[in-house]
Amino acid sequence: MKSFKFIFFLLFCIFFNLNNVFGENAKVDEISKNLRCLICQGQSVYDSQSEFALSVKTLILIKLESGSSEKDIYDFLKSKYGDWIVYEPEFNNYTLILWILPLFLFIFGGFLIARKVIINKR
Amino acid sequence: MLNLIGNYSLVFALITSLILAVVSFINFKSNKSLDFNIFGAVVLQFTLICVSFFTLIFAFIYSDFNNAAVYYNSHTSKPLFYKISGTWGNHEGSLLLWVLVLSLFTLIFLFKSKKLFNSFRILTIFFQQIITSGFLFFILLLSNPFQLILPTPNEGLGLNPILQDPALAIHPPILYLGYVGSSIIFSSSLAALTCKYVNKDWAAEIKKWSLISWIFLTIGIMLGSIWAYYELGWGGFWFWDPVENVSLMPWFCLTALLHCSSVLEKRATLQSWTIILALCTFILSMSGTFLVRSGILNSVHTFANDPERGVFVLIFLTFLVLISLFLYFKFNNFESKPKSFFLSRETAIIMNNWFMMYFLAVVLVGTVYPIFLEVFTAAKISVGPPYFNQLIIPFLIPFLVLMALGTKLDWIKTKKFKLNLNRIAILILSILISFFIVRNLNTKVLFLSVLISASLYLLLISIIDLKNQKFKWSQRISHLAFSILVISIILNSIFSEEFSVNMKVGQEKIISNSTINFEKISKQEVDNYTSIKAEIEIKQNENKLIFYPELRLYKTPETITSEADIKTNLFNDNLLVVNYLKGSDYLNIRYQKKPFMFLIWFSAVMLGLGGILGLRDKLK
Repeated sequence: MKSFKFIFFLLFCIFFNLNNVFGENAKVDEISKNLRCLICQGQSVYDSQSEFALSVKTLILIKLESGSSEKDIYDFLKSKYGDWIVYEPEFNNYTLILWILPLFLFIFGGFLIARKVIINKR
Repeated sequence: MLNLIGNYSLVFALITSLILAVVSFINFKSNKSLDFNIFGAVVLQFTLICVSFFTLIFAFIYSDFNNAAVYYNSHTSKPLFYKISGTWGNHEGSLLLWVLVLSLFTLIFLFKSKKLFNSFRILTIFFQQIITSGFLFFILLLSNPFQLILPTPNEGLGLNPILQDPALAIHPPILYLGYVGSSIIFSSSLAALTCKYVNKDWAAEIKKWSLISWIFLTIGIMLGSIWAYYELGWGGFWFWDPVENVSLMPWFCLTALLHCSSVLEKRATLQSWTIILALCTFILSMSGTFLVRSGILNSVHTFANDPERGVFVLIFLTFLVLISLFLYFKFNNFESKPKSFFLSRETAIIMNNWFMMYFLAVVLVGTVYPIFLEVFTAAKISVGPPYFNQLIIPFLIPFLVLMALGTKLDWIKTKKFKLNLNRIAILILSILISFFIVRNLNTKVLFLSVLISASLYLLLISIIDLKNQKFKWSQRISHLAFSILVISIILNSIFSEEFSVNMKVGQEKIISNSTINFEKISKQEVDNYTSIKAEIEIKQNENKLIFYPELRLYKTPETITSEADIKTNLFNDNLLVVNYLKGSDYLNIRYQKKPFMFLIWFSAVMLGLGGILGLRDKLK
């Protein structure tokens, strides 16, 4: 029921603000570039003109005008739609390996090379 | 009738393939020579697959809706060119193309390898046949392009309009030539391992094949990204989309292999590593096909979703990996390596491989991790551009500097590494220029200036090296191309400007320093779609540009695509794209200024040219 109200509210916003809301706010663009459009295939909210994307853009604008910070907006959207919506995976237990593994492999590779070069020197 | 011919030539091709596998294995065991039978069978197999492929093309040209693949992907009103390209624009047809290329490469290998060791050739054919029969089984059982529909429908469903584009029509075949080229590298590595043939001759042989794959892969990736740039209407050319990543992974691996096989060729060392890279390249190409075709990836490119197919490819892939691992551990005992010194060309190439493997690891982990996470914990995360940029861009700095310095080293041992005054002067010059470039920016100035300095340094060194007779032309051209590519991408991402605005016909708006005038709109019926063309004028200071972006309304299937209007010159692209806003008479207008786009495409072509020059040297 809550989400129903939320969607209704957003649709309301769209119909009344459609023409003067978008495109003129650089901050909205910046944030919406880091968000996935959930109903599109492989498009960001910024790139999409779908109803979902438009409503999220409106939401960002309203949040910004009411003084929310960038982080607040991301957190709000994450709590609403899950981590799937943001393109930058946050660093936590789930994503530890994601962030560390490539760096570990780099160091490991460096170690192998160093060992080879040192052995060859002897 | 056509369908029957196509279907049965595939069945016979499969039988030939199985027989060939058995015969070549027996010949290998009994040390017999590569006889005429094997030759004949390979030619026959290629002919059969060719027949099958051309029947499918004919079915598309004559819109034979009796055929399911044609029915689902074609339409009588489609232009001839797209009817033909529709053949491989779908899952079934694209796999048939895979196999066609596979058998073509087997044939070429057979004809071009006459000077090589006999049992090595026979074994390579054997492994090629295992791959070919796997694919033929897959096609015949799970994605047969010759399935019938009864009663015959009168009209087809049409090809997804965003795929009706010249760049995308030739993108899959070229990419596949790259992917499948690596099958020869794979088979010949397994063969060379088994019959202890990992030596200079073999290195020279796989270098040819890796060059061929690499050229097609480079051009294929570029075509895909050109298509994304003007057709998807986002004005970007690389999105770190899983399907793009999947084509980039074998590219990193091949690039590493290209450099590494020179070491094996010149110095007879690094055998195991070369083998590992050679095997990984094909495994990555195969996994690419698996990930894309099984629909596991959530992305714009996934048009075919079918879990059964995924399971088949997964089993086949596991099988190939297990064979590779088994043979690798069984036969991996190479003679001790000759000495090399720290300051040598070998070390520089190892460094190149080190970074290539790191980039590969980032892309691989970033692409595959979300899938595993979802399977094991049900948590769904997105790994997008911020992740890749953060992990890759900082590592570019040492990579670019090493690339600039590495080519200066000699094989075995560099006597004296002279601190050349010229080189220091170039370094200082690039630092100065980069400060000049970034001075007006207000974010991350230090990081960007170091990054730009490094890429400028490589660029200047590569330009100077153009005159250096010590290097081959292929190296000079491709290194220069790579440096232009890197610096254009960096400058492009820093200096791109854009805005988007919603407007009606006749409106005028002012955004920062530009005046936008939505002049007119016109409607026109073309072939198989309705075209809506807008005329939009953008004035910036003295400059005036008039754009004619287009919306295309397709009827079968019902889709709207937007065609950007792009004004290109050497240093700057001006791009304008309109999008339809549902339920209003407003259009979303998006204007972008993208510097150095031309140079990005130009350098990618030049990179391919470098590969072609290298191939010419090898074939002489």
